[in-house]
Amino acid sequence: MSKSKDDGILSRPLGRRQFMAYTAGAGVAAAGLSSTALAQASKTGVDPAKWTAAYIKSIAGTETYDTAAECYKVVPKDYKGRLTYWYFGPTQASPQIEHDLDKQFWDAFKAMYPNIQVTALNLNYNEMIDKLRTSAIGKAAPMVVRLPILAGVEFAAKGQLMEFGPESVGYSKDEFWPGAMKSVTWKGKTYGVPTNNETMALIWNAALFKAAGLDPESPPATWDDLVAYSKAIKDKTGKNGYGMVARVNAGNTPFRFMPQLWAFGGGALDEAEENPTYKSIFVNNDASKKALQASYDMYVRDKSVPTSALTNTQNENQDPFIAGNLGMMIAHPSEYAVMLDRAKKATGEDKKVADEVVANMRYGLIPKGAARRAVVFGGSNAHVFRPDLVDGGLDVNAAKAIIAFATGPEWSTKMAWVSSNPGNLRGFKTKWMKERLETIKFLDVTTSMLPNGIPFPVVPQATEIMNIIVPNMLQNVLTQKMTVAAAADTAAKQIKELMNEL
Amino acid sequence: MTLATPTTTIRKPASAGAVRPRKLNILQRIWKHRHDYLYVLPSIGVMLLVIAYPVYYTVYLSFFNTPPNLALEDKIYVGLDNYWRVITAESVHEATWNTWVWTLWSTFLAFVIGFAAALALNHEFRGRGLLRGTLLVPYVISAVAAAYIWRWIFHSDFGVVGAISVALGITERPINFLDNVDIVMPSLIAVNVWKEFPFAMIMMLAGLQTVPEQLLRAAQVDGANAWQRFWHVTVPHVKGVTLVTVLLLLVTNLNSFTIPYIMTGGGPAGASEIWITHIYQIAFGRIRFGLASAYSVILFVIMMGMGYFYVRALTRGDDRSHG
Repeated sequence: MSKSKDDGILSRPLGRRQFMAYTAGAGVAAAGLSSTALAQASKTGVDPAKWTAAYIKSIAGTETYDTAAECYKVVPKDYKGRLTYWYFGPTQASPQIEHDLDKQFWDAFKAMYPNIQVTALNLNYNEMIDKLRTSAIGKAAPMVVRLPILAGVEFAAKGQLMEFGPESVGYSKDEFWPGAMKSVTWKGKTYGVPTNNETMALIWNAALFKAAGLDPESPPATWDDLVAYSKAIKDKTGKNGYGMVARVNAGNTPFRFMPQLWAFGGGALDEAEENPTYKSIFVNNDASKKALQASYDMYVRDKSVPTSALTNTQNENQDPFIAGNLGMMIAHPSEYAVMLDRAKKATGEDKKVADEVVANMRYGLIPKGAARRAVVFGGSNAHVFRPDLVDGGLDVNAAKAIIAFATGPEWSTKMAWVSSNPGNLRGFKTKWMKERLETIKFLDVTTSMLPNGIPFPVVPQATEIMNIIVPNMLQNVLTQKMTVAAAADTAAKQIKELMNEL
Repeated sequence: MTLATPTTTIRKPASAGAVRPRKLNILQRIWKHRHDYLYVLPSIGVMLLVIAYPVYYTVYLSFFNTPPNLALEDKIYVGLDNYWRVITAESVHEATWNTWVWTLWSTFLAFVIGFAAALALNHEFRGRGLLRGTLLVPYVISAVAAAYIWRWIFHSDFGVVGAISVALGITERPINFLDNVDIVMPSLIAVNVWKEFPFAMIMMLAGLQTVPEQLLRAAQVDGANAWQRFWHVTVPHVKGVTLVTVLLLLVTNLNSFTIPYIMTGGGPAGASEIWITHIYQIAFGRIRFGLASAYSVILFVIMMGMGYFYVRALTRGDDRSHG
């Protein structure tokens, strides 16, 4: 009996390139998958046949890496310098474990490079881009920034970033998802290194499902089902069914609405298509209008989602969920850790309710639509600003040291502990990945959404399209300021003007 | 005994041959007062740096297109195009309407409530000091903190006001204060008035304390009722401070940012977007610094016009005293 390729990987340590070659060579197994899943996978590079939950479990903990040795090859230990670093780290809404790991990260970096003086700034995810734009114009940018996957190309297009890729810190491009590498590539040049990549999943409260007469163990299979489930929960229990998020200029909104738009066959541009050109506007096609109509039905017709969805970020869904007042929401695996934290802090009757919610928490795949099942291929990337834009000038070795450290297999895994996946694919083979899989509930579900991931358009206008135009379209519909068709056409016009500006 | 008239003793008709003092031009006047200018030079330097340069740069940028995919140094000259785009944009018209609704209602209500509170506090009664201190609290609270607190009080799903209205059976569902295009602006104005009325109260209280007590008593002796004393004695005396208070409130409200931005970000669907939040969104949300600059220049001109009236109101007494 011949050994499978997986057996081969597990039987001996592999070099990085060998590992990736095995990963890429799994096309045969993909034959049984749908053409849409394969098409989606072609954009992210996540081979759906290979990257199954079982495969991820099978490779976890099979290799060890020496972080210090890898970093010191790039920048020696005794290097003396200074570093300014901006990132969106843990917030008050984050679980304690993220705060602990953030501290451990900085302590470990200090131990690794005791002579590099670090000024790190932890910024709010929703405010970071605006602040960074202003600081870059004012020549007060940080040396290194960890940016949401969507945003880097805007700064690259303006010529504000240095050419800087995995090779700059001793890694290979093959160690990262091709989709992630595309997000740091502008006009054929590389401007960053992926730190982490993830997809979200659908979370539901099984007790509320049961109370609404739904199967508590099965999530809605389609977006139409989700609308119906949301209404059933509202009608039968009086609680809100689905945690819609529709705030303008908040990153949470596109991460929750675009999967719906793509599932129906719509999009902002043609980013969900097999070979996106980013030249066709999909936001007002029939499929996009159907997706918008579904949101309208939940918010206006059924009133089955929070009224405050227009001003909420995802953080505002957490409290109603732990209080047993919200049926479903789209979130990271970290949401489970958040709920555990909140349940621990609750007292009296609240504690009883919170413990029940945690026990009834379920994770499943995000529903599919007429065209596909889709989720945002998210994550973040590390970038280096041009020396003349950095406050006090750029210390390129200090920048290399932090990026080598943060994007290596160890810390790209640890820093993605409860909310993401390591950007460096070798991280999947570490003992820390194994520990994550063993200790973090539902991680396998969110990870198994990876093959359905669709990256945001890699154009400098993406931030405005996703954070301003699309949420505005949604708000125009939900407030009944415009009809579905008018809102979609207005958004299409705005996108067209934006894309034709230059 | 004959009294000489002032005209015959003091003033003499100007004769054709009288020597007039030589009128100095502006440079000569500056030179004459050069030491005075020296004293204010540091302040002028700071003003030029922090006010004049930004104003100049904003005007300069307003003639350029600055798309998000271009660095600022690669901006494209477009002449007056940005001004035309601002003037003709539907979203600007909507923001302009919202701004005037916001400004006029906020100013009117803050002034009326502030004046009423000042009239009440102008009388001696037990606990007046405590009440005056309490009424000042909204004014001294940080606007950011107040906006966040009110955002939660007015939250459409779990706000305190909504919960009370449901508990008392007044409404079936929590009142939708912030996520409804028709109610959001009145809700924000209520918060703004709460924050601003103590300012009007303090200003008007100061004005009321300048009204001569004897005059009010004399009017009372002459048979004037309370309304007549208020209308014919108090109001004329506080006219000046009223004008200044109203102008300051108008300017402050036209420049508002914190409360609408934090509470709603201009939403939902632009229903609470006012000039300054709109400019901020265009500049930092959409990275159109040129367009935002043109918008700012237009607003600057409007503000300067109001500033002119404000300065005139402030210096009217000085003009009279200098003949």
